[in-house]
Amino acid sequence: MNKLSKLFLVRENGIIIALAIIVLIFSLLDPIYIHPSNIVDIIDQSTINGLLAIGITFAIILGGIDLSIGSIFAVVIVGIGMLLVAGVPVILSIVLGIIMGFILGVINGLLVAKLKLQPFIATLGTMSAYRGVAYVITGGWPVLNIPDNYRKAIAGIVGFNIPISIFILFAFAIVGHIVLKKTRFGSYVFAIGSNEEATRLSGVNVAKYKIYAYGVCGIGAALSGMVLLARLGTGEPAAGQGYELNAIAAAAIGGTSLAGGRGSIIGTLLGAILLSALKVGLIVVGVDTFWQYIATGVIILIAVFFDVLQQSGSIHNLIKRFSKN
Amino acid sequence: MVKTAVRFDNVVKAFNNVEVLHGVNFDIQQGEVHALLGENGAGKSTLLNILHGIYAEYEGSVNIFGEKVAFNSALEAINFGIAKVHQEINLVQELTVGQNIVLGYEPVKRGGFIDYKAMHAQANAILRQLDCAFRSEDSVKGLSAGQMQMILIAKALYHKAKIISFDEPTASLSNKDTETLFKIIRQLKRDGITIIYVSHRLEEIFEITDRATILRDGSYIGTFVTAEIDKKFLIRQMVGRDVASFATRHKPSQKTDKVVLEVDKLSREGEFSDISFKLHAGEILGFAGLVGAKRTEVVRAIFGADRADSGVIKVNGKVVNITSPSEGLDAGIALLPENRKTEGVIKYLTNADNMAMASLKQFGNIFVNHKIKTDSCRQFMEKIDVNPKDPNYITSNLSGGNQQKIVLAKWLASDADIIIFDEPTKGIDIGAKAEIYALLEEMVAAGKSIIIVSSELPEVLGMSDRILIMHAGRIVKEGVPSELSEEEILSYAIGEGGNE
Repeated sequence: MNKLSKLFLVRENGIIIALAIIVLIFSLLDPIYIHPSNIVDIIDQSTINGLLAIGITFAIILGGIDLSIGSIFAVVIVGIGMLLVAGVPVILSIVLGIIMGFILGVINGLLVAKLKLQPFIATLGTMSAYRGVAYVITGGWPVLNIPDNYRKAIAGIVGFNIPISIFILFAFAIVGHIVLKKTRFGSYVFAIGSNEEATRLSGVNVAKYKIYAYGVCGIGAALSGMVLLARLGTGEPAAGQGYELNAIAAAAIGGTSLAGGRGSIIGTLLGAILLSALKVGLIVVGVDTFWQYIATGVIILIAVFFDVLQQSGSIHNLIKRFSKN
Repeated sequence: MVKTAVRFDNVVKAFNNVEVLHGVNFDIQQGEVHALLGENGAGKSTLLNILHGIYAEYEGSVNIFGEKVAFNSALEAINFGIAKVHQEINLVQELTVGQNIVLGYEPVKRGGFIDYKAMHAQANAILRQLDCAFRSEDSVKGLSAGQMQMILIAKALYHKAKIISFDEPTASLSNKDTETLFKIIRQLKRDGITIIYVSHRLEEIFEITDRATILRDGSYIGTFVTAEIDKKFLIRQMVGRDVASFATRHKPSQKTDKVVLEVDKLSREGEFSDISFKLHAGEILGFAGLVGAKRTEVVRAIFGADRADSGVIKVNGKVVNITSPSEGLDAGIALLPENRKTEGVIKYLTNADNMAMASLKQFGNIFVNHKIKTDSCRQFMEKIDVNPKDPNYITSNLSGGNQQKIVLAKWLASDADIIIFDEPTKGIDIGAKAEIYALLEEMVAAGKSIIIVSSELPEVLGMSDRILIMHAGRIVKEGVPSELSEEEILSYAIGEGGNE
């Protein structure tokens, strides 16, 4: 009994079970779904959203939100696109791209932590402003002819047909997980999201860590943008619109509370993979695109409702009653 | 013939098996102004909350006009004609006066639309009755505290209240507004409305009330006709407990002559002014005073939780400029805040994490060594006897006393040498209180210096080496416990400073 309820009570297990059910259903409908190349494809398709979602998980656990990640994504795409086209070496461009994302994130952090703007409104403002920056620096035109060596370095294929970008996703997830669970910064992120005033009164420099967290959020957006740039070979200033919502969805499915204080990177990663598994599955069995939106919406609602049950202890009681009979 | 408006019959109330009201019996007559008196924690608020339906679970019975009532919510009490004028004025600032008066009970037209014409007409009729200079159509913003209180009274009348309780109604009023309030209370009394009046300002009790009931430590002491008694008698009844209180020092004083903290003329407009004092190494310095004396504001400014307008703070003889709690902690000052739930415990975090929040640096600058952190938490738990002794237990699920011990341990674990405790035993049972007192003694024995802000007189008297008494934002008296009685402290705290 105890083991059973624990299985349900650990959030990540809940998503793994949901993921297993999705995989099972689609493989029964069409066995090609569990072909290794399709599995790689599912994970590969979650990369862009996964990187964004891991970043935004920091802002959400902090008790904030970052709506501007889709725009940071676009600024980095056109920014390093232009650097690459101008002949700046790949490694340097990548480093500059990460710094770009970090700085744009830090600006969000300053608005929230220093000017005390509400995160939703502050990042709604920068969402528009950063998007404008992306258009202004390119004059509205896409950046064309991204060098092949850059594209190969990020979206190239290594053994077993696995794209390098998947390793970027997992590397960022591992680093994010370690930062959140093992560092002082990570401990403060949870504490601030849970009770900011008590954390401040514990002598923690709340503003500093808030700014860092938004910086991480910007780095996630930068990495994600660089993957898209490598895949497409052109830098569109209009790219990434609405991506913040998919990222929030992945985090929410992964058990990150939008009220702050709770969440995990592993959960978010699984959330992004689950969304991708669903999407690929619906395509494989030939469901109409429009229905995909409905299915995605329902999954988000189920996941969040599951969270409510978990918080109120209803699941625990349900399992108790169940195991008695 | 005199009718009984309220009868409390053997009312007993307990929280988590800690009894806070021990069988209270008394009557309140219709049309009288009845004072409810007692120190902080005597049980006044608990009793009022039972009357107003906020606490539904209690033993004994409450009879209103001869009928036994059992309210399950504040709403039921309001519908029964029992209204409360709160200490803190809760009005919706964005709405008009009239909207605030009828809030939740708006007169409606056909189709469910609010009948604003009828609303303003009814509200204005009540405001006229109360001689108010403002109208129902006015915005609440910009009204004075006294005027806002009139809105609360108007609200009670709108609900056809027959019994109205006032909880410290004059705490935020000017003298002129207080005069107006008393005029209205007398008028309500003439109209047959029963008034329950809670206040720490004893002179008001004699001015406005007919009878006074005194509670002490949750027990009923007696009901007296106010015209027949004097202030001295009241104070004695309020504090007259066993002198041998359990809040006593078991170890010799650790106070030295070395000054660790010097505060000079600390002031903030409208809150406190000219706060000057010295704290010595190993000393326990008590801040006595009533709720609202601005003691919390003073200690928060010292720690950096809020800013002061002017004044100088010296730590170990050096001037420090503290603008945030993190700078306060860097200067070696810590504050255990008054409100454990919103300012002390961090929800969702485990005991180990809560305990380490102020000292996380000790477990690694970038990476936190969770094993050492957990071990250190376990060691502290042995010392402070938290139940259950599990570092991975979520703190907010512990009992109040255990939570407080965790928050206390947070500062024990920190590097701070000056620790300020704001109401450290508020809402904690007697057993946990004694353990916390023992911890305070251990801390000074370990070389730390302590300021303790407490509204419980036995606590300040029993634990402090020296006491500062605050009244209305100023230090009005300094003394040592052996030369101060509870009666004297109380009279200084209510602003009667020494004059008998």
